[in-house]
Amino acid sequence: MKRVYAKEELCLNCRLCEVYCKTAHSHSKDIVTAYKKEEPAPSARLRVSGDNHLSVAINCRHCENPKCVEACITGAMTKDKATGIVYVNESKCIGCMSCLAVCPFGCIQTGSFAVKCDLCRETGEPACVKNCPNRALVYTALGGEQE
Amino acid sequence: MKYCIIGASAAGLACAESIRQADKSGEITVFTKESSLPYSRPSISYYLKGAVGSTEMLLHPAAYYRAKGITILTDTAVTAIDREHKVLRAGRKSYPYDKLCLCTGSKPFVPPVKNAAGKANALTFLEIATVKKIKAKAGKNTRAVVIGAGLIGMKAAEGLSKICKSVDVVELAEFILPSILDKSAAKLVKAHVEASSNIRFHLGNTVAEAKSKGTHITGVRLGSGEELPCDLLVLAVGVRPETSLAEAAGLAVERGIVTDAATMQTDDSDIYAAGDCALSLDMLDSQKKIIALWGNAVKQGKTAGFHMAGAPQQAGGAYAVNAIDFFGCRICTCGLIHADAAPYTSKVQQAGGSYKKLVFCGEHLVGFVLVGASDNAGIYTSLIENQVDITTLQGDLMDTPHIFLFEKAVRQQRLKGEESA
Amino acid sequence: MSVNYIPRRFDIVRDNERCVQCGCCVRQCSNECHYFAEGGKIVLADASACVACHRCVDLCPTSALSIQKHVCDYRENANWAPQYQQEICRQAQTGGVLLSGMGTPKPYPIYWDKMLLNASQVTNPSIDPLREPMEIRTILGRKPRQLEVDAAGNPLGEMPPQIILETPIIFSAMSFGSISLNAQKSLAMAAKNLGTLFNTGEGGLHPDLSDYTDYAVVQVASGRFGVHKDYLENARMIEIKIGQGAKPGIGGHLPGEKVNVEVSNARMIPEGSDAISPAPHHDIYSIEDLRQLIWSLKQATQGKKPVSVKIAAVHNVAAIVSGCARAGADIIAIDGFRGGTGAAPTRIRDNVGIPIELALAAADARLRDEGIRSEVSLLAAGSFRCSADIVKAIALGADACYCASAPLIAMGCHMCQTCHTGKCNWGIATQRPELTKRLNPDIMHERVENLIHAWNHEIKEMMGGMGINSIDSLRGNRLMLRGIGLSEKELQILGIKHAGE
Repeated sequence: MKRVYAKEELCLNCRLCEVYCKTAHSHSKDIVTAYKKEEPAPSARLRVSGDNHLSVAINCRHCENPKCVEACITGAMTKDKATGIVYVNESKCIGCMSCLAVCPFGCIQTGSFAVKCDLCRETGEPACVKNCPNRALVYTALGGEQE
Repeated sequence: MKYCIIGASAAGLACAESIRQADKSGEITVFTKESSLPYSRPSISYYLKGAVGSTEMLLHPAAYYRAKGITILTDTAVTAIDREHKVLRAGRKSYPYDKLCLCTGSKPFVPPVKNAAGKANALTFLEIATVKKIKAKAGKNTRAVVIGAGLIGMKAAEGLSKICKSVDVVELAEFILPSILDKSAAKLVKAHVEASSNIRFHLGNTVAEAKSKGTHITGVRLGSGEELPCDLLVLAVGVRPETSLAEAAGLAVERGIVTDAATMQTDDSDIYAAGDCALSLDMLDSQKKIIALWGNAVKQGKTAGFHMAGAPQQAGGAYAVNAIDFFGCRICTCGLIHADAAPYTSKVQQAGGSYKKLVFCGEHLVGFVLVGASDNAGIYTSLIENQVDITTLQGDLMDTPHIFLFEKAVRQQRLKGEESA
Repeated sequence: MSVNYIPRRFDIVRDNERCVQCGCCVRQCSNECHYFAEGGKIVLADASACVACHRCVDLCPTSALSIQKHVCDYRENANWAPQYQQEICRQAQTGGVLLSGMGTPKPYPIYWDKMLLNASQVTNPSIDPLREPMEIRTILGRKPRQLEVDAAGNPLGEMPPQIILETPIIFSAMSFGSISLNAQKSLAMAAKNLGTLFNTGEGGLHPDLSDYTDYAVVQVASGRFGVHKDYLENARMIEIKIGQGAKPGIGGHLPGEKVNVEVSNARMIPEGSDAISPAPHHDIYSIEDLRQLIWSLKQATQGKKPVSVKIAAVHNVAAIVSGCARAGADIIAIDGFRGGTGAAPTRIRDNVGIPIELALAAADARLRDEGIRSEVSLLAAGSFRCSADIVKAIALGADACYCASAPLIAMGCHMCQTCHTGKCNWGIATQRPELTKRLNPDIMHERVENLIHAWNHEIKEMMGGMGINSIDSLRGNRLMLRGIGLSEKELQILGIKHAGE
């Protein structure tokens, strides 16, 4: 399946991926409104780790055998058979964060429900990749190698 | 091929799904004595406080099971296993099986409280049916008493606190949540719970006797002599593996059903066991124990299911990992947390409302307790599960764990989604 | 706190209605102008170190930032302009030579803007480049006076080495050291894809660029950094650097702190040591000495590589060019005084040398007069801002044009002129890894290629308008130029008529 691969040697630590991710997962889809007005505040589904010297965007690997799905106690976390996308059904998630406790890559964040990358499955093109100013994020099926 | 599974919670469902994945045509029947389709048992406290409805609690809608060809027989308590004829008995009905998996889970351990047995407002906290009863009885004037400050008792107390006037928790141990917290962390969580709710604790104490009017309990007297008014008594001291069917059928049972960790087979090669009723082999201390956790049940259910369908898969080691929150205080623990004596060492970091304890055995991380510091906890879990030599890591392990703990080659692999080098 | 005698140059204006405190500006500004305050809740800016590089402006996701000129009046004085007062204060503090980056910003005449191009009307047809072939292929190298061929058309005797370019635009010398490896690699990739050349400057050739040696001009300069057998043999062309337009008459100095492991390997000097290029080549004190070096380099490469000599445009440029041609140069590059630099003493940059337009016209005329124009190719350098500048340079006599600032701008340069600080926020003029990674060659070579493709199109349009379908017919064709607002003397030097004549 196509995944988002991050390249630390190109990551600027600008964290615009977080900004655009948050916006893509807001109601208004407008950055200023998403940050300043929306209640509950939307959250970014990926997180940049590190500092200016060494940084990289961490987001869900959509594992073949996802530990988060195994650990989910409510059936909210599922892996879509057709697309391979691991995503959270927000109405079923109770925010226990069992998924966070087992995600080996640190791709899940806390919130009133588990917050994680859904590969922008509603629009089809991950906002983080589209808006990365340095192509440090690539959306490819080729294990992170250049397309 | 006829597959039968007794119990329709985490292990039972994972078992059924795995069988179907490997065997497209076999007949799969899941028996449950409960009236509901498989639901999220840990969500019952959220149901109690009104955070989720009973529909959202269902793990899957009925159509899912039809599509998968999995028959769920609700309200069907299996009463006996006839190993000789390979038949299950449920009342007057019989169900033949080729492969059987016992996923009978736990039964509540009911503490001996004088005058409490059989009272209408004394209930356990394990099944949706009893929780529905509790919810019906609780109201804004209800003064509830919960016996037990373990995971179940505390979750019950949290659920009740939102809908009751007061909740008193009585616990025999000196600190709360002894199975997942050490003493210092427990203190922190207790303070947080007290500050954020109407829950009061009575630690190092017991309920000695219930006072009643007819079939209703009206108050309790504690071991210390103190008396508390009580409109609702929740018995949540703990659970025991439900092994009665297995024992009656003559299978090897110790503290739980004895299985082979790689296959989940019992000493009858056509009978498997998975989940809270079965013994696990803790990979961290090589002890056989009950690891009554959802994730562990799912793993064992899968292992059993794939093996039953003749498509065995590599089973990962078992260990305990738990995440839970009380009034916004997030707790995340894993592995060996009470291992304080040699060969174990630990490091503790406490700041404000957060607490972090890492337990090491030589060069390996074997356990952690995180309170209010659970960010990226799964990375610690991964270090434990893969028994990573921590001397190969860079930076301070006590900081929030992140990808730059690992050297470049490992980072590149992890960015591709490969966990261990 | 010591008193800063110099008011800040810019204001950072933040639209707080739009700022979402994402902190991108904080993390991107290497001058540390932006910062979080109130425990990370708000972002503020102190513009005193702002150089107007626009990194924050361009990356701000909500367009909440703008940079404005900071107005702080001095008492009016036509002589003691604020800039001089400020420079005096800076020197009073440091006691040092003033340094600057990029080309001079002084308002000297720009002759490109005082020349107009011709177009065909009625008497000869213009050509539509979209419908008809239009040749901009450019061939550099010494052309023999005559070429004998056999009956089958095969040349008899040896043809001097020639370089075929698909555009008259080549990338000028910028060393790895003065610019980042990523910037140099972007140019190398673009040169390969465009069919043109990039130039290593005096920085040696980094092993990462081994795929691009066929498109490399390798410099041999006064410091001889990075020069070895493979360096010369793998290149497409060898260039002896005598001078640079932005700093004629002086050498170069790459401070030791910029000489990291990679730079040290490429230049073949110890890590951390200052890389000092002397002002002259200590083995060249005459045209005869230059001839020796040219022939040495040709010997070293079996005569297969054309050798270029790059000089700064100075007063006596025509005679010098003639001397270089006679010394055996295949190609001569003349760098005008508006040309860019990674670092130059401000006084030199702003006061030494002459404009490329005049130097080029004078040199081309002199070579023609002496009958040796075809023995060398002339490269013009020193600030080409658009395709029209290129067309005018070719009409004045250039074979091709060296461009550097324009491709740097395509890669993000905003002409903040602080290359010498090593804090380039766009990852161009810096060796700091946290900054160089900001320049992704995979993106930037595309941008540079886009730019040159666009200029190629425009060059063809302008040629077509003049009724010219081959760039060879434009070269030295001064009839296609007319001066506007120029004196008799200027017209005479440029060798063009005034508009209306």
